[in-house]
Amino acid sequence: MTALVLAAGALLGASPAAQAVPSFARQTGQECAACHVGAYGPQLTPYGIKFKISGYADSDGKSGKVPISGMLVGAYTRTDKAQDEPPADHTHRNNNVTLDEASLFLAGRLADNLGAFVQLTYDGVEQATALDHADVRYARTFDIAGKDTVFGVSVNNNPGVQDPFNTMTVWGFPYTGPAVGFGGGDAATLINGGLEHRVLGASAYAFWDNHLYAELGTYRALSPAVQSRTGQGRADDMGKLGGNTAYWRLAWMEDLRKQVFQAGVFGFKTNVQPDRQGGPSNKYDDLGVDASYQFLGTRKHIGTLYTSYIRERQSNDAAFSAEEAARRRGTLNEFKINASYYYDQTWGLSLGRFLTTGKRDSMLYGDGYANGSPNTSGYVLQADWTPWGKEGSWGAPWANLRLGLQYTLFDKFNGASHNYDGTGRDAKDNNTLFLFAWTSF
Amino acid sequence: MNTPIDAILRLILLLGLVGGGVHTLPAHAAGDAAKGADVFAEECAECHSPKEGKNKKGPSAFGVVGRKAGTVADFNYSDGLKASGITWSPDKIDAYVTAPKKVVPGGRMKYEGLEDAKARADLIAYLATLR
Ligand code: HEC
Repeated sequence: MTALVLAAGALLGASPAAQAVPSFARQTGQECAACHVGAYGPQLTPYGIKFKISGYADSDGKSGKVPISGMLVGAYTRTDKAQDEPPADHTHRNNNVTLDEASLFLAGRLADNLGAFVQLTYDGVEQATALDHADVRYARTFDIAGKDTVFGVSVNNNPGVQDPFNTMTVWGFPYTGPAVGFGGGDAATLINGGLEHRVLGASAYAFWDNHLYAELGTYRALSPAVQSRTGQGRADDMGKLGGNTAYWRLAWMEDLRKQVFQAGVFGFKTNVQPDRQGGPSNKYDDLGVDASYQFLGTRKHIGTLYTSYIRERQSNDAAFSAEEAARRRGTLNEFKINASYYYDQTWGLSLGRFLTTGKRDSMLYGDGYANGSPNTSGYVLQADWTPWGKEGSWGAPWANLRLGLQYTLFDKFNGASHNYDGTGRDAKDNNTLFLFAWTSF
Repeated sequence: MNTPIDAILRLILLLGLVGGGVHTLPAHAAGDAAKGADVFAEECAECHSPKEGKNKKGPSAFGVVGRKAGTVADFNYSDGLKASGITWSPDKIDAYVTAPKKVVPGGRMKYEGLEDAKARADLIAYLATLR
């Protein structure tokens, strides 16, 4: 089990992440647009950030709310040049029409101060069902020196899924992406999906005076038997996590109502021991900085800007002794910046830049990479239309739809612009057009 | 007939009209309802709808000026607000929006307060049109 496999798993698992749950709207009496930029998940306004931090449990006080939602994502995907092999069973080398996700959510208030966001997803590409993102939390608000302070705990299955800002990887732009095309290169940091759904963690957090967010937590790997039961399968088990595994987060938010600023730092540190019986580990030390800005105004014109930079230091001792890494030490860095504009909570335009760079390693980044380099960079462009989800919208809060056109362009893929895989495939051949229909109810 | 006397007469008439306005809305005559609609969209609309009978996180803002506190049917008020005995005159709304926790201790409106007095005046002028 190498970092490469982890990275590939991260890519496969991480690409189509997509959330918006109407049961939250039914529970609170709020429309989607109160919590979400562009009236569709998962991009959060400060109101949505606070709702998540206070445990998904806020409600309009009326009974009879059922915390269940459904979601479907269908897509047409076209790459500039057909892939050498179909990306999955039952797909074609190009021009695929797929049901990317059919999800059922347990999302909302379970009891006073207790809420959940648990997603079960049928992946129409893999034709398999598995437990997707899961975050169950308990939160209470106390008055500390005249300031509201929320204290909470989250139990979840993916480092970062509990984060309320859209700068970290789990809930970062693009909020949905091609399952059978290319959304990024193959190398990714561990916190960027490397452990998702194969771990269980708990963290404690505090949110002071709507400003300071602080969180500390830890994770353990699920046993292969449990991974198999939750639908992840045993085959890609990454091994055991060390007892020193730590997740931490600090952020400051300045909510001026017409505009919002946020800046933070986060970290994830762990040892992954591939052989559960014993032996060497691969160590990962991920450190991130992030910042965001939202112009909300009267909500007629909304603009957002998000950026993050993650630096990962690896000690690939296990991979090195298994001759899967050429060196013991490595680094991998991910930079992201994206901006979006929404008109009337309905029409959206977004542009993102992503850049992955890292130390070369001829074995870790062997087949499918040029020069042993993990470097990938490119742009994502998206235009979308969200007709409902606003006050007085037709069918609210049941009818929710976003139609989108997304185009991902690569100037470098897995180490090179040209012939990155040694068979003549260029980075731009992976440019992916992704047309999606995303609906939830 | 553009004599100076005419102009003076017109000026007096105009002042009289403005004065009349001041009498009907004593503290907030300067409020600009059109600007107030924007303030409402920026500061309040997430939680309050201008539509009659439409409650969100907060009760409908329709007809709020002059309304007795805690009386929108089908809205789940805090005990603090229900017990406040307030009638939402422009002055009371002004004070509430400036510092919600001070005016209604134990209230549930999670709003930090609007410091800008001009924006509050515009906002109240707008709220007065919701009827
Ligand atoms: C975060 C949500 C939120 C925001 C923003 C908000 N309110 Fe409220 N508002 C509430 C809630 C909740 C209540 C009920 C409070 C209670 O029961 O204690 C309320 C109550 C009120 C009341 C009393 C209504 C009645 O029927 O007694 C008025 C007046 C009011 N708000 C005005 C405003 C104005 C004006 C703004 C914008 C400057 C605003 N609110 C912003 C949530 C909000």
